[in-house]
Amino acid sequence: MGSSVLSLENVQLTLQGNAGPVPILKGISLNVEKGETLGLTGPSGSGKSSLLMLMGGLESSTGGNISVLGQDFGNLNEDALARFRRNHMGIVFQSFHLIPTMTALENVATPLELAGDAEAFAKAAAELEAVGLRDRTDHYPSQLSGGEQQRVALARAAAPRPDILLADEPTGNLDSKTGESIMDLLFNLRDRHGATLVLVTHAPELAARCDRIIELHDGVLA
Amino acid sequence: MNLRQAAIIARRELRGGLAGFRIFLLCLLLGVAAIAGIGSVRSAIDAGLSSEAASLLGGDVELNFTHRTATEEERDWIEANSTASSEVITFRSMLKARADSDEADLGISQVKAVDTIYPLYGVVELAPAMPMAEAFETRNGLPGLIAHTALIDRLGVGVGDIVRLGTQDFELRAAITGEPDGTLTDIGLGPRTMVLTESLTESGLLGAGSLFESKYRMELPAGANLPALKKEAESLFGDHGMRWKDNRNGAPGISTFVDRMSAFLVLVGLAGMAVGGVGVSAAVRAYLARKTDTIAMLKSLGATRATVFATYLMQIGVLALLGVGLGLLVGGGIPALAIPLMADLLPVPVETGFYIAPLLEAAIYGLLTALIFSIWPLARAVDISPAGLFREVSGHANRWPRWPYLLLILFLASALVTLAALFSGVPTLTLWATFGVVTALIALALAAMFTKALARRASRSRSMQGRPALRLALGSIGGPSFEPASVVLSLGLGLTVLASIGQIDSNMQSTITQELPERAPAFFVLDIQKDQMDPFREAMLADEGTEDVESAPMLRGIISKINGMPAQEVVGDHWVVRGDRGITYASTLPANSSLVEGEWWPEDYNGPPIMSFSADEAAEIGLGIGDEITVNILGRDMTAKIANLRELEFSTMRINFVMVWSENALTGAPHTFLSTVYAAPEAEGRLLRVMATEFPNITAIPVRDAISQVSATLDSLGSAIRWGAGTTLLTGFVVLIGAAAAGAEARVFEAAVLKTLGATRRRILYSFALRSLILGATAGLVALAAGSIAAWAVMYFVMETGFELHWGSAIAIVAGGALANLLAGLGFAWRPLATKPAQILRNRT
Ligand SMILES: Nc1ncnc2c1ncn2[C@@H]1O[C@H](COP(=O)(O)OP(=O)(O)O)[C@@H](O)[C@H]1O
Ligand SMILES: [Mg+2]
Repeated sequence: MGSSVLSLENVQLTLQGNAGPVPILKGISLNVEKGETLGLTGPSGSGKSSLLMLMGGLESSTGGNISVLGQDFGNLNEDALARFRRNHMGIVFQSFHLIPTMTALENVATPLELAGDAEAFAKAAAELEAVGLRDRTDHYPSQLSGGEQQRVALARAAAPRPDILLADEPTGNLDSKTGESIMDLLFNLRDRHGATLVLVTHAPELAARCDRIIELHDGVLA
Repeated sequence: MNLRQAAIIARRELRGGLAGFRIFLLCLLLGVAAIAGIGSVRSAIDAGLSSEAASLLGGDVELNFTHRTATEEERDWIEANSTASSEVITFRSMLKARADSDEADLGISQVKAVDTIYPLYGVVELAPAMPMAEAFETRNGLPGLIAHTALIDRLGVGVGDIVRLGTQDFELRAAITGEPDGTLTDIGLGPRTMVLTESLTESGLLGAGSLFESKYRMELPAGANLPALKKEAESLFGDHGMRWKDNRNGAPGISTFVDRMSAFLVLVGLAGMAVGGVGVSAAVRAYLARKTDTIAMLKSLGATRATVFATYLMQIGVLALLGVGLGLLVGGGIPALAIPLMADLLPVPVETGFYIAPLLEAAIYGLLTALIFSIWPLARAVDISPAGLFREVSGHANRWPRWPYLLLILFLASALVTLAALFSGVPTLTLWATFGVVTALIALALAAMFTKALARRASRSRSMQGRPALRLALGSIGGPSFEPASVVLSLGLGLTVLASIGQIDSNMQSTITQELPERAPAFFVLDIQKDQMDPFREAMLADEGTEDVESAPMLRGIISKINGMPAQEVVGDHWVVRGDRGITYASTLPANSSLVEGEWWPEDYNGPPIMSFSADEAAEIGLGIGDEITVNILGRDMTAKIANLRELEFSTMRINFVMVWSENALTGAPHTFLSTVYAAPEAEGRLLRVMATEFPNITAIPVRDAISQVSATLDSLGSAIRWGAGTTLLTGFVVLIGAAAAGAEARVFEAAVLKTLGATRRRILYSFALRSLILGATAGLVALAAGSIAAWAVMYFVMETGFELHWGSAIAIVAGGALANLLAGLGFAWRPLATKPAQILRNRT
């Protein structure tokens, strides 16, 4: 418990649907230890993405407690959460979410710049090289393939050396071969920098690469 | 092409609703409503003027003489040809309050001396109400006088008080609240006073050489042949200075003014329509962008390019008809509803109604604009290849439409301009205005392209590193989206119109008020009799505030013949031969003029009559030394040859005459003197009182008053035009909001991603604000440049004066543009900032 990086206590999430409130997460309690890799699986619609969004502070819970690195999210407003992410978290999405008007290099440099890093661009270039995109730095997202875009997204998440990496089905939009190389990269990055990793996936063989697997069913942990 | 097929598909797609077309509809609505509204008001005024033409003119026919009344022969003709007639004499004079006091107030007035038959048509409204006979009858030895409310207020008198005109005292009987034959054009210098002509016999005001006009209004028998009567009168009296007006055009001055004004406003409205066109284009482009898959699918199913074009053209056509229809409803309806409520406040008669012609005109402009601006994006959309469906690349190739479409656009645009030139009645102005709008649009399009390219480069430059907010702003301006261009175009064009009008307005105002000659005169004094000249000069110079008194003899006459031929036939409709001109005589070359050609005559010249003519006007109407000019002065023809040409300096506001005759040629004719008095402002009141008490017959025109009259007139003209420009700007703002709304999706996404990467809301807002400010300022700067060039062109070529950039309005334009866009942008920043990133990033692909 002392080295727990992520700690969730009876976390609930109820969203306002068209036909009234929809309970999505129904009391989740969970601890993730420092350096651990956690695989989060479950059928589509079971609430995996929602849980990850809560861990990243991109969504606020409607009940329970979330604390990350000893910081209680309930006490942080939106901007404080943003600053917290800037210093401690990298997030990778299924559909990449690169800013279309920025080049690969600029996309990677942005979180570093937001953190006030004077060497943002040098570090971003190194990070792109690490994911094998040295000759794509000046390309816009629309000029990159899906796999390349996801590699940029990985570089962007990893560049500020976050304590925690959150990845939501990072290979969901990619063919299996490309997906595999992305997974290799992801675990590689984690191994090199020793970050805590939470990986959402519904592919059992990918989850198997994690230290621990938990399964979500209809908003509750199995 | 299969039109039926196209119609079926079009109908299906239209079922999807109008959500994406709100801006499209609003742009057309505003553009059409503005033009239809201007046209409807104009038609209402025209109809009002023509239905009240006889009453406005004061009769079915009016014969007009300058500085004389009708001769016996003329009176006989008038009597013989009318069922009733009335004589009216007008002149300017000073009305003095409390006749017995030296300290009394004075007001310049346009006096109308009438007979007992006046008014032939309509009624003079008086407060308190009473018959005209009662208003003018002599009581206790004092004849009655009525005056306009404004004059009564100014003099601080009331009904029953004694007032004085010339040397004659009157009793003020009532205030004039409505005059059937008094209109806009009469407001000029001084409000109205009315008396009976016979009560002026002792006033000393209608002596020989004084500046009055006489008007004979005739009521014609039913079925009278106007054109034949006109011909007869002109052949009988045309050579003796008679001018003819009839009820076919009772108030030519006003209707010309109204026509010019509305033509000008319609041009401003067309500029607004072009702004709306930018919005139309952006909306069509956005709609078709969502239809890319549908179009590719239609084509892969075998639809030809023409069928696809027809499919979407029909949809746009239906929507354009809807937008135009709404615009006509608003533009035609508001005046129809509002005019009856305001009729009493308007200075001209109006007749309410739905007028078809202006609505038709506005509808044509609206539909053509919608087509012209839709075809470009439409033509590019139909070029989408079905293969695109199966490829990942979203190649946004900025290709030009194929040439047949370009030709079609060119044809429609030419049709629009040609129609506008025909409808407006001022083709040259229309063409110049079109040239201005097209040039401004091209300049703005280039500026938008340049800004985008510059922003793209700048966003990638090293100096942007470490400034992610600015880099994001520049990057999104430089990106592939059409939105920045549509902001620069619409806001820019709206601001260009506003900037040019602002600059013209401030230049006109400063020309009149600030750039007066250093030594502006205090008074122009008319009607000084020859024997009054010396006492007048002495009396003026006796005041310590008087600096100088300049005077010249003055006669007034109409140039009737040139080299024996009727003048208008020789030189056409030039102002020099149109009305009556002031003429003077001199034995030496007048000050502030210089000889250009020929010799001045010796001081004791005593040969045949000769004259000096102004060089500029001589050149304009093609006259030279040796030409013979006949002038009709008080019904008498006098002829002289041009002996020399001289340059004048009009700008000094001294007395200047187009014609200076040799003294021997005119000394016989009755004449008065015109004087210019230079005095300190604080002396003006004293001088005016001296003039009124010692020289009651003369008329002094305070220059300061005249100037403020002119600048007040300009002011109201300016504000009418600013209102017109306001609708242009409003349309621009609508397009702006449309552009901001179109960009909102992108902003929401950027905000969600940036928040995820650790950006605070302040930082994101800062980036969005920068983006809006950069675009707004670009539009403002280009507008300022384009507007100033247009304003310079108007001042230089039309007004023939100098131009000076007025920084106040210039800075307001640029700042206003940036601010307007900032507001539009920030209005749409709220949602991105308030939305939780999870909502956006969850399942977006
Ligand atoms: N904004 C929303 N309002 C209401 N329900 C939502 C909203 N977003 C997602 N859901 C529902 O929440 C459930 C969990 O979604 P999600 O966390 O995306 O599941 P997973 O990632 O496991 O597929 C789904 O049933 C989904 O339909
Ligand atoms: Mg999911």
